[in-house]
Amino acid sequence: MTATSSTGRQDTPQDTAPTAPETVTLTLIQAVTEALRGELRRDDRVVVFGEDVGARGGVFLATAGLQAEFGVRRVFDTPLAEAAIVGAAVGMAVRGLRPVAEIQFADYIGPGFDQLTSQAAKLRYRSGGQFSCPMVVRTPSGGGVKGGHHHSQSPEAYYCHTPGLKVVMPSTPYDAMGLLRTAIRGEDPVMFFEPKRLYRAAKGEVPTADFTVEFGRAAVRRTGTDLTIVGYGGVMPDAEKAADALAAEGVSVEVLDLRTLVPWDREAVLASVEKTGRAVLVSEAPRIGNFMGEVASRIGEEAFGSLLAPVMQVAGFDTPYPYAQDRVYLPGPARILNACVKALQY
Amino acid sequence: MLEAFPLMPDQIVSEDGQLQPGETVTHTPAELRALWEQMTLVREFDRKLVTLLRQGRTTFYAQASGMEATQVGIATGLRPGHDWVWGYYRDQGVALGLGMTLHEIVSQMLGSNSDLNKGRQMPHHAGSARCRFVSGSSSIASQLPPAVGMAMAQAYLGLDEVTVVTFGDGATSEGDWHAALNMAAVQGAPCLFICENNQWAISTPVTRQTRAESIHIKARAYGMPGYFVDGNDVLAVQRAVRTLADGIRAGSGPVLLECLTYRVGSHSNADADAEKSYRTRDEVNAWTSRDPIERLERFMARQGQEIGAQDRAQVVARIHRDVEDAVARAEASGQPDWRTMLEDVYADTPSHLRHAYEDLRQEYGSGGTK
Repeated sequence: MTATSSTGRQDTPQDTAPTAPETVTLTLIQAVTEALRGELRRDDRVVVFGEDVGARGGVFLATAGLQAEFGVRRVFDTPLAEAAIVGAAVGMAVRGLRPVAEIQFADYIGPGFDQLTSQAAKLRYRSGGQFSCPMVVRTPSGGGVKGGHHHSQSPEAYYCHTPGLKVVMPSTPYDAMGLLRTAIRGEDPVMFFEPKRLYRAAKGEVPTADFTVEFGRAAVRRTGTDLTIVGYGGVMPDAEKAADALAAEGVSVEVLDLRTLVPWDREAVLASVEKTGRAVLVSEAPRIGNFMGEVASRIGEEAFGSLLAPVMQVAGFDTPYPYAQDRVYLPGPARILNACVKALQY
Repeated sequence: MLEAFPLMPDQIVSEDGQLQPGETVTHTPAELRALWEQMTLVREFDRKLVTLLRQGRTTFYAQASGMEATQVGIATGLRPGHDWVWGYYRDQGVALGLGMTLHEIVSQMLGSNSDLNKGRQMPHHAGSARCRFVSGSSSIASQLPPAVGMAMAQAYLGLDEVTVVTFGDGATSEGDWHAALNMAAVQGAPCLFICENNQWAISTPVTRQTRAESIHIKARAYGMPGYFVDGNDVLAVQRAVRTLADGIRAGSGPVLLECLTYRVGSHSNADADAEKSYRTRDEVNAWTSRDPIERLERFMARQGQEIGAQDRAQVVARIHRDVEDAVARAEASGQPDWRTMLEDVYADTPSHLRHAYEDLRQEYGSGGTK
């Protein structure tokens, strides 16, 4: 089912239809909390843990109220040790739980990197399918909150480069809820990056009934025929602002939100680019080794004949994330618009 | 008797095979014989695999010679198929003791089609769900935090299981080691940490891993008891593991056990000249004279259970035949089909791997191994 709202914006397709029509307006972080609450209620195997997730409810309050409702056995604080948090999730999952670990900021995962890449990502493969670790690592990610480079980075590409991990980054409350449910109910380790600048900025209607969003399917945020913008996570509102500005000039822009990077919706991107002939790829991670490099490569390899202009990338800069130039660093509407104009005028 | 933080490692049998004062052994002759045969199996497995390596039929081998008492003591102190073990790469003695067959282990070492792990890792990374022996990673100490998580899950689920995690002395320098012990203590996870201290991490001696006087004493800093046993005394290791595992079942919380032993051989074929490059022949000879199998034999002889030369030769010959048979069967199973390379990355097969399958099919056709 695909609905078009009164603003002309294309809503996210629903992967599993709710049984009741009621909706509620939530912020993105409220959607995360409610998804966790629902999964804790639904499945006794689900446990939520990390630093400060208990009484405090997480530094962003994503787990607020969960310990009070489910107790310290199911929602608990751990020592300040990312390796232990991520690694414990691996072992819990092997023994039959559904761990959802929180890392306070994506920038802090470093000590847990070996656990993600050596253990979580490879356990199923290296054991020939004898063992698996269905686990989720949730973490606030990205810039735009004046956090400097240890509270603003977008490290998703490291994990996309590691087969065995699934990598998710929602940009709407609907997707945050549906994708997190899919992550928790799935059989693989999932890196769930939450764009922190959208935690409270992104609001939207979310069904009160159960639904999930399938991995590997991009959301068409708006349809168009002249140019395709592809993005994910925190850049999506700015991508849509650029599309609005172009629409005012009579340019028909299609906007795709990848939502999941591994797996990513190659078919949707190629189909869109084959239709429009132009692609502008937007992300806020540094450009070198950026995930959009893979998207550009695929477009070049498989849709070259359809291209009317070079594939454009708008990305973060290849510097550590700067504190004072927070907004300069991010690919805002103006930079996205400039790239679109360049593609249109090529 | 086993006590926390001793100055000297716990022993039941002295190096010359005598029962230590105050100790009694309740093992039946059959049980002692089984321990001897299991340790001999580990020793002879080493010998055969080194030969296999020299013949170019496998690519990597890490000997466990000298460490048989530690590894057999660990496995026999547990409840095989009930307790879980996150081992490290040199744990072939533990894997065999937990019930992995020679064929399964050799198949993994050859990366053959009969490998339970489908030929995915280099030698020394066996794993078996049936035996609750988790397929290992090569990165040192990375198995410790998952072992703690598994123990937490066992407590959460109310299971009467213990999670054991083994590691060498080098692993105790890693951040994962510290994070895991701290997490386990804080969470009260029913985890038994076992250091197989063979005193060398490739060419780095334990004195260059830590300035602490021992490994087990570090447990105090994490708020858990540390125990210390002679890792060349199989009866002492077995008792320690059994006692500590039962204590954990009864709610003791996590403990650290250090087994002091010695790797008589090289780290691997990468440093086959160990005696020339980083340690002395005198040191190796000194530890060779403390051979754990000979110690058990001396003890058994004092119990009136002498193992004759003919008996020993027959057992060794049978083991060699068994290993040769396991190798022959593993080699006969061939190499894994190319299709299996793309399996098990995820529970499902995402579209990019389906595309990769199609690309490979163009190259390999419908046939098997190319």
